[in-house]
Amino acid sequence: MNENLFSSFITPVMMGLPIVIVIVMFPSIMFPSPNRLINNRLISIQQWLVQLTSKQMLAIHNQKGQTWALMLMSLILFIGSTNLLGLLPHSFTPTTQLSLNLGMAIPLWAGTVITGFRYKTKASLAHFLPRGTPLPLIPMLIIIETISLFIQPMALAVRLTANITAGHLLIHLIGGATLALMNISAATAMVTFMILILLTILEFAVALIQAYVFTLLVSLYLHDNT
Amino acid sequence: MPQLDTSTWSITILSMIITLFLVFQLKVSKYYFPEDPKPALVATPKPATPWEKKWTKIYFPLLLPL
Repeated sequence: MNENLFSSFITPVMMGLPIVIVIVMFPSIMFPSPNRLINNRLISIQQWLVQLTSKQMLAIHNQKGQTWALMLMSLILFIGSTNLLGLLPHSFTPTTQLSLNLGMAIPLWAGTVITGFRYKTKASLAHFLPRGTPLPLIPMLIIIETISLFIQPMALAVRLTANITAGHLLIHLIGGATLALMNISAATAMVTFMILILLTILEFAVALIQAYVFTLLVSLYLHDNT
Repeated sequence: MPQLDTSTWSITILSMIITLFLVFQLKVSKYYFPEDPKPALVATPKPATPWEKKWTKIYFPLLLPL
């Protein structure tokens, strides 16, 4: 049971070839590059969505923060499309891999912190000590703030991994329960099937929300540091 | 838990870096958002009043032979 449940999260390797490269690159096929002056409907809709999202997300940033626009937009497109494609049956979702999420979270978070250090050193160091703390509490508070700073990339990665993995596991489990219940009692199977449908709708929402949350938090860390 | 099997981590991270930092950014960098050009207000010149159509000597007081 254990082996079967987690088997969809094994990195796909086919006859010794790591086809995970192809799977990670696959969502980019869904976003064709605009080559013409007036593009087709698909590209125009995607451009419009990117414009909508970027306006919303970059409104809080100043000039320096807005140089990250390309990075943030490709981030939200990558995570959103990967999560949505993972809802297809028998597909492999790269964002369930802790390695991928750590590889995204740590460089992006480190980039924002280093930008803050280089650009406004004193202000970024001042984040460690909130205003108006009593004198004896200062050493402990600095330790706590440092820990909370260093936990940011870990939390980013683990949040995305855990949410998507948990959703996929629930779908597997409830789908298996529905199948098993079909022979025993059709009514209970219908109830379980309803639960499955509701869960799938939730997973669509979660797929998009997690992409948004990841990108929003990176942009927030950026805002703190620019 | 198969996510913790670190033997595949390097290839996954490598493929993610290629996709995220190369492929997606090349595609999104080609998006262009046309500006909405607004017509600039051309200042209309003040219409010359009829008696100013032709300058004559009397308009230059210093040129009068006095």
